[in-house]
Amino acid sequence: MKNVSFVLNGKRVSCEVQDRELLLHTLRERFSIKSVKEGCGIGECGTCTVLIDNEPHYSCLTLASKVNGHDVKTVEYLGDADHLHPLQKAFIESGAVQCGYCTPGMLLSAYSLLMKNGNPGENEIKEAISGNLCRCTGYIQIVEAIRDAAGLCKCKS
Amino acid sequence: MYIGNEINRIDAPDKVLGRPVYAEDLSIKGALFGCVFRSTRPHAWIRKIDTSAALASPGIVKTLSCYDIPGENIFGIIKKDQPYLAKDRVRYIGEPVLVVLGETEEAARKASRLIRVEYDDIGVISDPFISGDSKTLIHEKGNLLSHRKVIKGDIEKAFREADVIVEHTYTTTWLDHAFMETESGVGYPDNKGSIVIISSTQNIHYKQKEISKLLAIPEEKIKVIQATTGGGFGGKLDVTVEGFIALSVYHTKRPVVMRFTREESFLSNTKRHPLYIEYKTGARKDGAITAVKVNITGDTGPFASYGETVCLRAAIHATGPYEIPNVRVDSRMFYTNNPVSGAMRGFGVPQLAFAHESQMDEIASMLRLDSFDVRIKNALRKGSSTATSQVLRNSVGIIETLKKVEPYWRRRTRKNDHTGFGLGCMYYGIGNTGVSNPANACLNITGDGKIALHTGACEIGQGSDTVLVQILQEALGLKIEDIVLIRGDTETSKDAGSSSASRQTYISGGAVFDAAKKMRQYLDEKGFYKGRTIREIYASEADKKLLEHNGFFDPPTTPVDPETSKGSPYATYAFATHMTEVEVERETGSCRVKKVYAAHDVGRAINLKNVRGQICGGIAMGVGFALMEEFVPGKSESFDNYYMPTSMDMPDVEVFIVEDCEPTGPFGAKGLGEPALIPQAASIVNAIKDATGVRAFDLPCHIERLKKLIEDKK
Ligand code: FES
Ligand code: FES
Repeated sequence: MKNVSFVLNGKRVSCEVQDRELLLHTLRERFSIKSVKEGCGIGECGTCTVLIDNEPHYSCLTLASKVNGHDVKTVEYLGDADHLHPLQKAFIESGAVQCGYCTPGMLLSAYSLLMKNGNPGENEIKEAISGNLCRCTGYIQIVEAIRDAAGLCKCKS
Repeated sequence: MYIGNEINRIDAPDKVLGRPVYAEDLSIKGALFGCVFRSTRPHAWIRKIDTSAALASPGIVKTLSCYDIPGENIFGIIKKDQPYLAKDRVRYIGEPVLVVLGETEEAARKASRLIRVEYDDIGVISDPFISGDSKTLIHEKGNLLSHRKVIKGDIEKAFREADVIVEHTYTTTWLDHAFMETESGVGYPDNKGSIVIISSTQNIHYKQKEISKLLAIPEEKIKVIQATTGGGFGGKLDVTVEGFIALSVYHTKRPVVMRFTREESFLSNTKRHPLYIEYKTGARKDGAITAVKVNITGDTGPFASYGETVCLRAAIHATGPYEIPNVRVDSRMFYTNNPVSGAMRGFGVPQLAFAHESQMDEIASMLRLDSFDVRIKNALRKGSSTATSQVLRNSVGIIETLKKVEPYWRRRTRKNDHTGFGLGCMYYGIGNTGVSNPANACLNITGDGKIALHTGACEIGQGSDTVLVQILQEALGLKIEDIVLIRGDTETSKDAGSSSASRQTYISGGAVFDAAKKMRQYLDEKGFYKGRTIREIYASEADKKLLEHNGFFDPPTTPVDPETSKGSPYATYAFATHMTEVEVERETGSCRVKKVYAAHDVGRAINLKNVRGQICGGIAMGVGFALMEEFVPGKSESFDNYYMPTSMDMPDVEVFIVEDCEPTGPFGAKGLGEPALIPQAASIVNAIKDATGVRAFDLPCHIERLKKLIEDKK
């Protein structure tokens, strides 16, 4: 077991983790953050995406011990029911959500993009979410949502 | 006011917050984890199963075999021929043999790896063409699951008199649904002595019936609840984890969790049926198609699943959305020792659309006619008779969908000799084929002044919750705050049938509409539309039973004739035209889909955003079907070797909605889920031909295949 402390959605946290424990499982089981999904478990689908120091990472490939001293964000960071983030609003408005399983990961990849680039072109958006598979939407309304949100949001870091 | 507008989905706010509870998100204290031990042989007798090492492994609780099943060890949506757990014999690689229960997932999976089985191999049938005549029988009654025919007119005479004939063979392969959420569920005994199953599913009432038979427990004692479901596409219609969970709860009296890994999902989930389609078309010089003869050979794997449905639906839809006077279709579905194929978005029709739309282009090019004009000339219209001799009276929008894309077709210009354009048309019968397939819905007034809608319709991401609520709102003139939706629970709702066959908007929507008519009349009598509140009406009603109104809808169909398929198998049909532009890199064989114009006759669009979402999602699956997706048994086990479209593969999409009102549908609506996909691959294949001069007869037309086709032509 190892002790890790990191910033999770803006709050300093620490916990004991197994040596080979994956961040995906730490977040789901130790912190009950179930929005982080396991679509494949081997780094091929993006449903487990989290932001580490604002960069998207597959939490199913990340050892929990590796985030010691870093900043971790999940979709809970973006907003809550009364204060939706412009990206979340845009996803609702654009019809970018169907089954919703890919949605948290998509939002995080998009958020990371908008932090770096306030006015991304269509190809930049497509590239930013190319590591997030979605079987329902065909991505089109997701890309539109990200474009719509780009103008509206100042992504806080 | 509530339909046909840019209304947001009711489940979207929760989903963007990451809050919905999928089955795997349910934490149940003290739950065991169950995993499945599967066959590694395609066809073999089981000689001996040794679980001793597994049972000595730390954290193991139990293994369950077919001998632990108290009821019937068999399931299947139409024909019951599939065991939950293999007895004596396995018939495909991946067939479940044992359920292994552990205190944790790790313990269960570890123990499962210690199980040893001795097999005696039996001859393997890996090809539907040898299946029929083989002496090796996969099932006692023979290897032919189903043979369906469509017969109309005089096919021989029509071919003799035809000016041109085009004949080709088209093949398709296995595809995986690849829903992002794999099969999962939990179960537990409740304090009323029932077994509760909460799972990722498309049909709760069907699963309740199957589990009742499996455990020999009355249906009232089995409760099936749908968890938030991460996609279905047909792959969560069959019993997946539910039977194993129920059996495990039965034996352990403890909560049990199950969840397939992605690898297991690829291995065990039903696939799209590979079809081998021999297609012959005859036409007159003026472009009128006079004869179509089709031979379809399908591979359903060792169990029926939806094989009979696919066999019949493929046959009925083989001629496409055209009026053909002389038709002969023979569609056969064989058992093999390949993966089990089942329902997947379109039930065989996407495969047939690939064939009939390729033929359509070939006929046009032989006659030096514009393929658009040939399609319009032959398209079904009001008064037309389909291949099953059903006369279409209403809502036949195929020509309208063609006209929507016509300006783009006429104006198209190939930017260079790498680009090309193609058309794909389709029609699709909404609901199950020639059988009663009703839905129920129930409305009641609640003490806090709301109207509660109870439905068994499963929301699998397609948007049925929102659509049903919109239909209710429109029918009653109610705000969303006045409505509560209670759904997806066999205890609180009556059967609404499966979320399949593009049927929920039309059929469950029809049931909601029916209940709403009764409720509206009641509310009207009680003065609601003159200013009384629902709360007041509730309080003043002495007989609370009068606060409840049930709705029902069963589309009017007739069974098809077993010999000729004559009949009216569907009450209504959806129609669509896609026009696609592609760009092909000749040196590498890489094909990019640049733009799709998609026109759909949906009867009436209840929710514009959903309609567009279904179409874009269907196009994505069509791109995969045409260019990249291929399940190779024994090889495809992850997204690393099963390629499906990413955001980078998607074209621009322009959507056109045609609303040729269906009189039996709620506010005129039909269905869309499967139609969105059906014509897409066909239009890509035709566009590739336009761009390169080569035609793909085998799907997927992936990069190596296309490169080879182009090289061979040189
Ligand atoms: S679960 Fe991590 S990439 Fe799929
Ligand atoms: S919305 Fe279902 S996977 Fe993206």
